[in-house]
Amino acid sequence: MSPDARIGVFVCDCGSNIASVVDVPAVVEYARGLPGVAFADEGRWSCSVDYLARLKEAIRAHALNRVVIASCTPRTHEPLFKASVREAGLNPYLLEFVSIREQVSWVHRDLPAAATQKARDLVKMGVAKAALLEEGAEIRLAVQQDCLVIGGGAAGMTAALHVADQGFHALLVEREPRLGGLLNRVAAVAHDGRSLPAGEIAAQLAERVTSHPRITLRTGAVIDALAGYIGNYQVTLRPAGDPEGARETFAASTIIVATGMQELLPAGRYGYGADARVLTQLELEERLRNGAVPRSGDAVMILCVDSKNEQRGCCAIGCQVAVKNARALREQGAAERVHVLYRDLSMLKGEHSEVEAAKQAGVRFLRFPDERYPALEERAGRLVVRVHDLLLGRELLLPADLLVLTPPFRGDETVQEIKGLLKVSASADGFFQEAHVKLGPLDFPSDGTSLCGCARGPKTLKESCEEGIGAAMRVSIPMQRGFVEAAGIVAGIDLSECEHCGQCARKCPYGAIRLDEDKTPSVLQALCKGCGLCAADCPTSSINIVHYTDAQLLAQVEAALEEDAAHKILGFVCHWCALGGVDMAGVSRLQYPPHARLIRVMCSARVPIKLIERAYELGAGGVLVAGCEFPPCHYITGNYACEKRMQRAKKQLAKKGYDPEKLWNIWCSAADGPKFARAMHDMVERLGLAREVGADGR
Amino acid sequence: MSDAILVVGAGVAGINCALNAARYGLKVFLVDDTPSIGGMMARLDKTFPTNDCSICIEAPQMYEVDNHPNIEVLTNTSVKKVKAVAGGFDVKLATQPRYVDEEACTACGACVAACPVSVPDELDGKVGGTRKLISIPFPQAVPNVMAIDPACRSGQMRAQGACVGGCAVDCSQCRECPIALCVQACRKEGKDAIRLWQGPASRGVAVRGIVVATGIRDARPPAGLYGYGVHQNVVTYTQFERLMNAGGPTAGRIVRPSDDAHAHRIAWIQCAGRGLAGGVPYCSKVCCMVAAKQAIITKEHDAAVQTIVFHNELKAYGKGFWDFQQKARQLGTRYVRARPYDVVENPATRNLIIRCEDIDSGRLLVEEVELLVLSTGLQPSDRNEKLARVLGIDLDEHGFFKEKDPLLAPLETKVPGIFLCGGATGPIDISESVVQATAAALKAILSGRAGRVESAP
Ligand SMILES: Cc1cc2nc3c(=O)[nH]c(=O)nc-3n(C[C@H](O)[C@H](O)[C@H](O)COP(=O)(O)OP(=O)(O)OC[C@H]3O[C@@H](n4cnc5c(N)ncnc54)[C@H](O)[C@@H]3O)c2cc1C
Ligand SMILES: Cc1cc2nc3c(=O)[nH]c(=O)nc-3n(C[C@H](O)[C@H](O)[C@H](O)COP(=O)(O)OP(=O)(O)OC[C@H]3O[C@@H](n4cnc5c(N)ncnc54)[C@H](O)[C@@H]3O)c2cc1C
Ligand code: SF4
Ligand code: SF4
Ligand code: SF4
Ligand code: SF4
Ligand code: SF4
Repeated sequence: MSPDARIGVFVCDCGSNIASVVDVPAVVEYARGLPGVAFADEGRWSCSVDYLARLKEAIRAHALNRVVIASCTPRTHEPLFKASVREAGLNPYLLEFVSIREQVSWVHRDLPAAATQKARDLVKMGVAKAALLEEGAEIRLAVQQDCLVIGGGAAGMTAALHVADQGFHALLVEREPRLGGLLNRVAAVAHDGRSLPAGEIAAQLAERVTSHPRITLRTGAVIDALAGYIGNYQVTLRPAGDPEGARETFAASTIIVATGMQELLPAGRYGYGADARVLTQLELEERLRNGAVPRSGDAVMILCVDSKNEQRGCCAIGCQVAVKNARALREQGAAERVHVLYRDLSMLKGEHSEVEAAKQAGVRFLRFPDERYPALEERAGRLVVRVHDLLLGRELLLPADLLVLTPPFRGDETVQEIKGLLKVSASADGFFQEAHVKLGPLDFPSDGTSLCGCARGPKTLKESCEEGIGAAMRVSIPMQRGFVEAAGIVAGIDLSECEHCGQCARKCPYGAIRLDEDKTPSVLQALCKGCGLCAADCPTSSINIVHYTDAQLLAQVEAALEEDAAHKILGFVCHWCALGGVDMAGVSRLQYPPHARLIRVMCSARVPIKLIERAYELGAGGVLVAGCEFPPCHYITGNYACEKRMQRAKKQLAKKGYDPEKLWNIWCSAADGPKFARAMHDMVERLGLAREVGADGR
Repeated sequence: MSDAILVVGAGVAGINCALNAARYGLKVFLVDDTPSIGGMMARLDKTFPTNDCSICIEAPQMYEVDNHPNIEVLTNTSVKKVKAVAGGFDVKLATQPRYVDEEACTACGACVAACPVSVPDELDGKVGGTRKLISIPFPQAVPNVMAIDPACRSGQMRAQGACVGGCAVDCSQCRECPIALCVQACRKEGKDAIRLWQGPASRGVAVRGIVVATGIRDARPPAGLYGYGVHQNVVTYTQFERLMNAGGPTAGRIVRPSDDAHAHRIAWIQCAGRGLAGGVPYCSKVCCMVAAKQAIITKEHDAAVQTIVFHNELKAYGKGFWDFQQKARQLGTRYVRARPYDVVENPATRNLIIRCEDIDSGRLLVEEVELLVLSTGLQPSDRNEKLARVLGIDLDEHGFFKEKDPLLAPLETKVPGIFLCGGATGPIDISESVVQATAAALKAILSGRAGRVESAP
């Protein structure tokens, strides 16, 4: 405990919400006797404007330098109390929040004595941690206004333009001699009943890019080397296809990846590669574009070639492209008859009208069963497709002077290289993985790096361009502000014991830990999200997380288990999901046994095995670690790391002669109050902890 | 030029648009005409294609919006008038009363316990949820305060005999309702947060750009479709979503409305009502995935429940979508390509007998299930027409907002400075909504820059 700690404890009645169950005056009295506490008070409505004024006054009058609030839940009210503490002139990191409404009065309504005891314990834990709290501060890293855009297709060009239009500088790197990407090969771009020559769209975008005063364009160039982090990248370019060519070096603060996609060529399928009459959709587009489609009597298109199987899903745009091209073949008079053979027509926008228009133009659509793909035969030098027509319920033979296959797509071949440079991941088909499919679709995990367009997955031109604009938005936030900022909850490394194993750098989901030549780690604190994964796995405990230090967590564990440990469940809950579940159980007034003493951590991955062991040593009746449901954790992979560690913990505990079955692990969503309540019932029952309930004579 | 933007509609699209612009440094007015932000996501259980819990990922964003110094959240608020001026727009906003002081209410719930009148909760439809006339839309609502249903304040409930008082004056004229139990309860709690006499308020704001994010609503089935509205155990996919939801009216128990009994055999009919009068005429994009999600979660609740999906075309247009549908199959969901004829109820069991044509075999199929879910699709917000008029922008034939040139100028409308994102543009999933919202934020930031703004018609 810091010797000069003067802790103020403010316990809320929440009207009758807390006070009707918990004996609040008794808790306040108890708090007054705790070490370090200089002041304790009961508030009828702690969050009301008048009480907040009183709180600030008390901080000043009693020279308080740590504050414990015991009231509702930090998930909704922490910002408010933090602001008040700051207004009183105290560093807001010196506040600790204790939840005695959601975790106590609302869920132990009929057990006032046990509830009061639990509230006391929680306050004691809060005070124990508060005594060790240290000041924190937001951490900033300077960011300049220059962005590297890799790939000069529609997405990359759109992104570069939107970066540059804000007054920032963009460096656009395209491997090919010409800007445009797929738009240089596709014939016409169709969308919702409209169609424009792809070349025209590419030319328009390229013209705006080349004439933009703040875009530096390098065509025929690729990335030779890339080092650094947000605000501080060094990019080296070299001529494409010339490993010895002259290098050129630039500085960049942020990066957008827009490397697009390519067709996954269906080598060997339906004679592709060996027979000139068999083309892919993109090859057909090139011929349509140049007016070079050989006139033929019969054309057949097969959809979903190599898609929707064990290896990969739907190619997303194949149906749309096929419908467009089938119609073009008819309208340009390149084929007398066109048959489109499909499994499911996956058309979205304007589905009906596009298919209708193609039918009008004479295209015939034929559905084949998922498990019976068409087969190709050659008869008297003519290609013939044998297909089972689902509608007719029988097999048909379709001659094909032109056979067009609709293959799936894959990321650019440079994806492997870029993956390594940026330390990001990609799917088996070479599409980059975003930070969060739903809420972070354009972000890589590291701040200041973004992705867009077909590099993420196949999509239409409109979607590629929208993503280009969106990616520009994402990287522009730090460029406009001039810095990236991390909340003060960040990792710090004490190198005195560090073994230079490099684990922390490998495991950080955000690339916030760098190793130098002799594997000495350092934290780029502005990139750190404070999950604590690195700290919990460091073999020498060299890493600490501000506001969640080992010492602070340990103090909470020890305070919780000082008395009557055998009848308590010591729980660690992650802030984002599990604590949300706990709160939800509270809001829903689910009643469960009062054995748990919960400790909040930002991520379940923060919990080190040694703390669990300590709880066992102190005789805890049970230990619970609760995190986000799978797959996605607020910190990407924290729950996976936690799960693995819990398995290790059980083995280690068993080796030391402890009962590993006392360690529970649940994954609880923020909506799943019932799950948390059930876990409490189950733990109490299966671990035989029921006695404490008897405190109320039940 | 104003350094503010206006975002209309605060679902996941509006929220993400606001967060991006606010982090960039602009001031954002985020308005929603309902009592809480959150939109459709606040009602959902899990979300495809990864099945993370909807409110778990949305609530932190909602709190961030609420606490962001650059964002002003205006709920119960709609856009009344918009005038194009140099460098942007002058906007008049109108806020309907919630009859509760936002600053004073602590969401303690005392008033809710005291209020004698329960009405069906529109969030839960007919799956059993009710709410009081004073209530909070959902536990994570932002702002986290109560609102009184205007039906109470207008005297409508008294006219229906729901009120105990025998007052002579009309409720809406009354400043101090003597029988308002909520007011008494609130005072007893030591608060005085209820403002029965609150009136509408209006205010003007100057902004450089406007983003329309009014989202989608779930389509209601045409009357009588597959027994909807006739047979109790026919529900929509949104109602089913509420049934699955641990935070929903049954705490996640998948039960039948008729008898509250666990449903052991559940069918989904896809594209329900599509192309029929009163149904949606287009593909709503998300329903195939929603059905897969609901089947997976049903199986996760209880692997013994039988699940059948009657579908025609199956769409799996996004990353990971196909695998997700395959997972539903692997867990034992039967996918049948079928054209349903009709649904009749077995009066003894209240089960539903579905007759349909198996498209692949051409045979007639008869299936009896305990609960039938209709995937009815997505429709535009029913307030779009009004908003379009106020903003001077166009709707498409279905009532979604129209982009000026989707190919060359995505998300732009015919009025420079007004942009679209999310469900306002058409059927869409969450991920795509967030992409568009992020892009629209930058569009709005860039609008109003020198020489860009012409005057609106
Ligand atoms: C056959 C076909 C038909 C289509 N038809 C339509 C249609 O009708 N309507 C519609 O809306 N959409 C259509 N599309 C989709 C549309 O073309 C794409 O969405 C869009 O062009 C993708 O743009 P992009 O910038 O993401 O990728 P790309 O166009 O692939 O651009 C990526 C660029 O990055 C460059 N690059 C890659 N790696 C590197 C590196 N390491 N360093 C430097 N540069 C690199 C590439 O050379 C390329 O120029 C079609 C696509 C195909 C394949
Ligand atoms: C049953 C169901 C399940 C779904 N499941 C998934 C899923 O698992 N995964 C997935 O990705 N997607 C899913 N979706 C789709 C998802 O809900 C939408 O993509 C998403 O909600 C769109 O977000 P939005 O912000 O555009 O619209 P909304 O969420 O609809 O929000 C719009 C907001 O605007 C407000 N508003 C409307 N009109 C006005 C006005 N005139 N003035 C002021 N405010 C206004 C509304 O009150 C609302 O708050 C599902 C949809 C349904 C119906
Ligand atoms: S061809 Fe159509 S259905 Fe087949 S994988 Fe491609 S988009 Fe999907
Ligand atoms: S994990 Fe610990 S010991 Fe290993 S390098 Fe990082 S700080 Fe050093
Ligand atoms: S706390 Fe998390 S984000 Fe920060 S350095 Fe450690 S692992 Fe990385
Ligand atoms: S009683 Fe008053 S303070 Fe409590 S929720 Fe109702 S209105 Fe809000
Ligand atoms: S006035 Fe009466 S009916 Fe209306 S919300 Fe209050 S308690 Fe309920």
